[in-house]
Amino acid sequence: MEGREAIHTSTHDAHIEELRERRKHYYARFFRRFALLIIAFFLVPLFLVGWGINTYYTKFATARMTNSFHALVDNHRKIIELFLGERSSKLHLTAHTHSRDYLAQVSNLAHVFEMINLEQSSITDLGVIDEHGRHLAYIGPYDLMDKNYTNAFWFKEVMKKGLYISDMFMGFRKIPHFIMAVTRTENGETWILRATINTEVFRSLVENVTIGKTGEVYLLNQQGIFQTSPRFRGKIMEKSPFPVESFHEGTRIRILDADDQKHIPRQIVAQTWLKEPHWMLVVKQDYSEAFSDVNHANRATLVFLLLSAIATLIVTVIITKHMVAVIRRRDAEADQLSKQLMQAGKLASVGELSAGVAHEINNPLAIILTERQILLDLVGQTPSLDEEFKKELVESLSQVDVQVQRCKRITHNLLRFSRRTTSVIETVNLNEFLREVIELVEREAKTSGITFIPELEEGLPPLLTDPSQLQQVFLNLITNAVDAHDGKPYGSIHISTRSDDENEGVEVVFADTGSGISQKNLEKVFDPFFTTKPVGKGTGLGLSICYSIIKRLGGDVSVQSELDKGTVFTIFLPYSPPSDLQESMNEELEV
Amino acid sequence: MIGARILLVDDEVVFTKNMAKLLTNRGYVVTPVNSGDSAIRELEENDFDVVVLDLKMPGMDGITTLKEIKKLGLFTETLILTGHGAIDTALEATKLGAYDYLTKPCEIDELVAKIEGAWEKKDDAQKDDIQEKIKKVVESPSSAFSLFGKKKSKK
Repeated sequence: MEGREAIHTSTHDAHIEELRERRKHYYARFFRRFALLIIAFFLVPLFLVGWGINTYYTKFATARMTNSFHALVDNHRKIIELFLGERSSKLHLTAHTHSRDYLAQVSNLAHVFEMINLEQSSITDLGVIDEHGRHLAYIGPYDLMDKNYTNAFWFKEVMKKGLYISDMFMGFRKIPHFIMAVTRTENGETWILRATINTEVFRSLVENVTIGKTGEVYLLNQQGIFQTSPRFRGKIMEKSPFPVESFHEGTRIRILDADDQKHIPRQIVAQTWLKEPHWMLVVKQDYSEAFSDVNHANRATLVFLLLSAIATLIVTVIITKHMVAVIRRRDAEADQLSKQLMQAGKLASVGELSAGVAHEINNPLAIILTERQILLDLVGQTPSLDEEFKKELVESLSQVDVQVQRCKRITHNLLRFSRRTTSVIETVNLNEFLREVIELVEREAKTSGITFIPELEEGLPPLLTDPSQLQQVFLNLITNAVDAHDGKPYGSIHISTRSDDENEGVEVVFADTGSGISQKNLEKVFDPFFTTKPVGKGTGLGLSICYSIIKRLGGDVSVQSELDKGTVFTIFLPYSPPSDLQESMNEELEV
Repeated sequence: MIGARILLVDDEVVFTKNMAKLLTNRGYVVTPVNSGDSAIRELEENDFDVVVLDLKMPGMDGITTLKEIKKLGLFTETLILTGHGAIDTALEATKLGAYDYLTKPCEIDELVAKIEGAWEKKDDAQKDDIQEKIKKVVESPSSAFSLFGKKKSKK
């Protein structure tokens, strides 16, 4: 029987192990699938939205950037044109409000020169030249009185157009400068008022404009010669490396690709032509700087997307872990429940078996009793019997009765035990009840050298409780107490009852002299599946079931223990169970 | 005076034989049978005051036999003998109209006391019935014919 039991438990354990392994795979698969699903559901729309926003914003920002570049170039053009226009109108006004003869006098010319430069020194010299290219008068830092300009390009141009603004040139002075000249025809004779523009003021107007770290502004003439020094790569009067387009109206914006050989990064270039003179205003900036805001925004979007993705991942993992944990807990609970059911089922089948056995024994017992009675009747009916024999016989027959009654008590206890496998709330005399339970296990315990010491308080009030469940608890505690004496030759189990009127209940104490429970394990004794018995010996469910039964019956159980000294379980049971338990029991009965 | 007429129903042949001997010793007229079927047959053919019926029997069990007995509509009282574990069934039997129950194994004196009680009850019921019938005949003589009809069930 024991061998079979062992084989049974080992296959059972293997089965549980296999089940656990399968569950582990299942949890892992569930975790993966669920996590992937959530990630797909979260991340795909997230990236779609991110991509959409990014594309739209880049387009929008580029348009805005281009527009602002456009405005910047236009503004600069206007400023330069205004500067040149102002100078030319001053010259024009002077020429037309003063006669040639008046201005030909150096003192008068000096006065006019002074007046023009009154607010700002905008011209460096001023000369009056007749139609043959000779200076009539000159005010300025250089000695140019004997210069003849008849063959000079500018002379021809101004004579033709009436106004001329030259490109930058070195001229006699060997510094870059440009001149402005207007003509006036007085009494059929044309004369020229010519001024050299203060290039310092003019150049600062263009060269001092800084746009960010990489932006530059410069002017080119139609031949592609720098009219102002660019901020990088080049100087005034040098030839620009970039080809110059022919004159056009309005502003053009281009993106120049990077030139790795010349170490020129990708640039955005805006260009516009001045009306007079035909100079091209160029505004340039590194693409990366000009669009840094856009890039910055792009990067921000990317970081945001990344953070969202990470957050999603973390949340996914947490949620999924939580869900797996919930499922795992549910499974564990289901396991515990099925184990409890198994235990209950075992108990019920043991009960059924013992009921059958007890019943079968009752029949022969009944016959033995009738036989005894027949003999007794015979003894009574036969007066001639030897007195000695009669006495012996009657004594013998009374012993038969005693032994039959003993058998009867055993079978009755067994039957009562089996009957208690169904739950009913009924009145229980606790002392009587405990005596029956003790009687049931006493013989078995005696073989292990364990004696029971009941100390039951007389006149204990009857309890309204579930005897079948109570029996399970008591048997469990006693079995545990007996098992706790493993390795000890003898011991005792002290069982006492005491009424506790204050709390309207009874206190039952089971104290054994067994091996005790360590302080560490003491906290866990009521946990399901906790056992110190070897694998296959205990389910670890006994005390947890006891605990839940006592709680269900409205009672309480506590434990004290000392290693090698013994363990004391104290159970409190109320006089009557909680009303909800009674109601549920009644409902079950009615069903 | 002649003791009660008892029908003893139990599948244990030795038990019925011994019990029959003991009860006969105590002045009863005992007919032992060993199955529900033969009990019903006996009851249909002869008059009994008390049936002592075992609940656990192969074939027709005690409860079914009791129901069959009740169907016969006799004044005979039934006393149930049962093992301790079958108290629920015993209680069910009393609900079905059994007089009382006893748990096996039982003392002969206990059994005799219960038999006496059952017999007395049967006699009283029979007397009441006759009185009632006489009363009815006095009130309406035409119903006198029913006296020769089927015996009225106690219930």
